[in-house]
Amino acid sequence: MKITEQDLKNISLLSKIRIDEETSDSLTKDLESILTMVNKMDELDTSKVNPLTHPIENTQTLREDIEKKDIEREKLQKLSKEKDSGFYLTPKVIE
Amino acid sequence: MSELIKLSLTDQILGLTDKSFSSKEITEAYLNEIKKKKSLNCYISVFEEESKENALIADENIIKNKARPLEGIPIAHKDIFCIKDKKTTCGSKMLSNFISPYSSEVFSKLDNAGAITLGKTNMDEFAMGSSNETSFYGNVLNPINEKLSPGGSSGGSAAAVRANLCSFATATDTGGSIRQPASFCGVTGIKPTYGRVSRWGMIAFASSLDQAGIIAKNAKDAAIALKYMSGFDQKDSTSLNEEVKDFQKEVDAKQDHVIGIPKELIENIKNDQVRDSFNNSISILEKDGAKIEEINLPHIEYSLPAYYVIAPAECSANLARYDGIRFGHRSDSVSSLEDLYVNSRTEGFGREVKNRIFIGTFCLSAGYYDAFYNKALKIRNLIKNDFDEAFKKVSSIAMPTCSNSSFELGSISDPVEMYEQDIYTIPANLAGLPAISIPSGIANEMPIGLQLIGNYLDEGRILNLANKFQKLTDFHEFK
Repeated sequence: MKITEQDLKNISLLSKIRIDEETSDSLTKDLESILTMVNKMDELDTSKVNPLTHPIENTQTLREDIEKKDIEREKLQKLSKEKDSGFYLTPKVIE
Repeated sequence: MSELIKLSLTDQILGLTDKSFSSKEITEAYLNEIKKKKSLNCYISVFEEESKENALIADENIIKNKARPLEGIPIAHKDIFCIKDKKTTCGSKMLSNFISPYSSEVFSKLDNAGAITLGKTNMDEFAMGSSNETSFYGNVLNPINEKLSPGGSSGGSAAAVRANLCSFATATDTGGSIRQPASFCGVTGIKPTYGRVSRWGMIAFASSLDQAGIIAKNAKDAAIALKYMSGFDQKDSTSLNEEVKDFQKEVDAKQDHVIGIPKELIENIKNDQVRDSFNNSISILEKDGAKIEEINLPHIEYSLPAYYVIAPAECSANLARYDGIRFGHRSDSVSSLEDLYVNSRTEGFGREVKNRIFIGTFCLSAGYYDAFYNKALKIRNLIKNDFDEAFKKVSSIAMPTCSNSSFELGSISDPVEMYEQDIYTIPANLAGLPAISIPSGIANEMPIGLQLIGNYLDEGRILNLANKFQKLTDFHEFK
């Protein structure tokens, strides 16, 4: 399977990861090799098969809706480099 | 003192209980060994002072007859399990500054059972790799031959057990990350049924495949460790609300076994030593009274392609949380919000993780979703059905853990060739079945493993069969 320059641009845009020019050739080679292996799936006719998203077919267990206070905001925000008065800071998004 | 670290978990528990030695002695012996074998790079962090303090507390509990089941036993956790107030890196630069504000259920359970955490083991970045070479903290060396890979992604845990740097270690398995390194290092590794062990606080890679398990010296030790790690957890919505059987009793119980052999798969094994060793293992079990049945798993050859769509797809969604804002690496060169996302992620992730995010993103993108992701999920269903059919007539299924023994570090650069490492381990993850790898022979002077796959929630049976094999052979003894 061929990966075009446009495909690479789309993947980079969607995944928010930059693809440098120096690595784009070897990356294209890797991705093409992986997708070629993946294409083996086409040998199988799966038109009458249902997709299986989860290996165990049990109903999700729901817990009682009881208020808990186990999230410590300050402690969690300590992990962020940039914060102020309980807010996370990012570069300006509106002019 | 160095003899203590070589004892099995069973003997260590006995020795601590009858006060033949103390937790202080055994903990210090492990810490000394860790220092001596630092070059193996098994640990990302070691909690020296805290381990010593906890050993003293354990010794007091033992004296006061208040010992918990794993009281004073020094263990290691894969650095994918969060421990409160401790660095949890997941082998990545992205989390090199992450001090966890909470503990994983796996850690809490073993901690409450009295185990002492010596430190956290090295691993492939975000558990993505089969050689430990993708770790941001450098690769682990195989203790049997340091030029070779310990396997991955739980290579640090497997090598640490093999090198006597802990009594047993926790690990995780998404496509073979417990069983393949166990095979490469000549140790025992079990991935239980999906949902058996809580994923709370275990950093996510592919949520429908990830499962925590144990790497230990032998099946008996693994059974004890798994017993105290398993169980329903309200905090994990996919955790199974099922009774946890006493694996410790089951491992030694009298059980009859019917072992299914996927004949076609075995005939197609390319490596003669791997095939011969497998056939030899089966005849050992057959002579011991196990019944052998040929089975058919017609879709198993499609496991690898289906996995390399599903796992990257889930990975690309899970790793979207690393945005540079709330936790994890944040780039310093930022002038816009887009820059913040892109630069933080580009700098924080390594090549293999990026490859998998790219593949997952591509397979889930408009126009490709049906052809790749949906198709893979349908194949997953076919594979699960193959196993369901097989388990109607057998109690476990045997196949090799890997198609080869360990390879030289740096020798595999083609990603697909690396992915093929997991060709025999992936099917159990896709179906959510429990599976164990035990040392069963030698190829190219390195250990190889026998893999036993069990039916849902039937960990006890494969542990029992593994224990039977280990009573009849000595491949699991470190020589």
